Amino acid sequence: MSERLIKLKIPIYLTTILGILMIIEFYFPMPEPITNINVTLRSFVTIVSAAGLILGIIILTIAHLRKISKKESGWYYSIIYLVGLVITSALGLTSVRNTTFLWIYNNMTAPIGVALYSLTAFYITSAAYRVFRARNWNAAVLLVCAFIVFMMLIPVGAVIFPPVVPIGEWLRSYPSSAGFRGMIIGVSLGIIGLGVRVYTGRQKEHMGIREERMEAS
Amino acid sequence: MSVIVAGRALGLVVLVIIVSAILWFMMRAYSGKLPKLRRLPAVDIIDEIIGRCVEMGRPAWYLMDNVRMDTPSVLAPTVAAFQILAYVARSAARLGAKFFVPVTQGVAYTIANDIVEEAYRAEGKPEDFDPFGTVMYLPEGADRMYILNNMWSQQIAGAFLLGSWYHKAIIYTENAARVGAVMLGGTDTTHNIPFLVAVCDYSIIGEELYALGAYLSQDPTQSASLAGQDIGKFIAIIMMVLGAILATLGIDISSIFSI
Repeated sequence: MSERLIKLKIPIYLTTILGILMIIEFYFPMPEPITNINVTLRSFVTIVSAAGLILGIIILTIAHLRKISKKESGWYYSIIYLVGLVITSALGLTSVRNTTFLWIYNNMTAPIGVALYSLTAFYITSAAYRVFRARNWNAAVLLVCAFIVFMMLIPVGAVIFPPVVPIGEWLRSYPSSAGFRGMIIGVSLGIIGLGVRVYTGRQKEHMGIREERMEAS
Repeated sequence: MSVIVAGRALGLVVLVIIVSAILWFMMRAYSGKLPKLRRLPAVDIIDEIIGRCVEMGRPAWYLMDNVRMDTPSVLAPTVAAFQILAYVARSAARLGAKFFVPVTQGVAYTIANDIVEEAYRAEGKPEDFDPFGTVMYLPEGADRMYILNNMWSQQIAGAFLLGSWYHKAIIYTENAARVGAVMLGGTDTTHNIPFLVAVCDYSIIGEELYALGAYLSQDPTQSASLAGQDIGKFIAIIMMVLGAILATLGIDISSIFSI
């Protein structure tokens, strides 16, 4: 079989057949054997993802080893990565319920994640300070609306100026909701279009294959 | 046993109409009849950003945030972001920009790696592609620290933030803005669209994420599919107007949604 058939045609056919099978299952009641096939196929996604994770870790480890061997800038951080990888992998492979493994997760990984997540509040504030400037008419409308909603949400806003609450609620319930619903409709249509392009084999980038190379080969 | 799952008949009818319209426009494109499409401003901006990075000798980054391809709501914007990545990577390879794509999921990493590698090959510069550095797998969680640190140390000059974006949208865009990077942002995650629109220099909103990929593909049949999507918009507008009139007249037809 040609490389084109194996790397391009078969994945497209599989994508189309399995994708349509999933759509049919969504709209039409299917006999149990077909539903079971679909459930099994969905579990394949988890297995493929796990395989991808292993590949990613291998590539990342190689990149860090290369960084250490070349003594690139910040190479000593790569040693921390390698030590962390070996320790957590060893503990995790022994047992994910291992208390030391859980301690590392609960007391090191989770707090760092939460701390970084909490940065969002500060970045939103600084972004708002930079963005909310009445540079033109549109920006002025945005500024006024944002200020009203902001005043509505903080407790003192209603005390200072009570009408800010119904105005803010109106802004959120009507113009804002209408805009978001318009976006959702547009996005849904975009996803349908994307699906058609993928199922007809016109869009191939998700397979990591470019038509030029296949034709050249 | 009913033929169709209850409550999904109307959705199926609308889906069939929209898909038929898209296929019809694609078939017309095969025979050379192309619909007139407005040029998306983002098309020119991609080359502008890459060109700026080359002039300044600083890297361009392509960030996709959540790329969990086993989650249906994330899969579609990720696939759209991959299509745009193919064009951006080619542009970076052609113009000689230092290009970096961090990815936080294994499957998405392999795909992104192949796309970028092929882009460099297609431009005849495979030697510029670093298999361990151009596209990098960063475990979810660790990616934020790596990206924030390297944004400042490398002083990136351009950033593309496309795909499915959540809270990282504001963290990355704000830092990229502070280091002076020009940004193109776009997501279909409705609650994060405002952040990308507000902070990024250029933005594509909602469905433009899907349209841009098709537009950049230079494949007339893909571009033609965008015209088919407009049929769906007309249906949505008609249904909204009709619904508003019926609701004003006090006529309840909500039972048709349970068929």
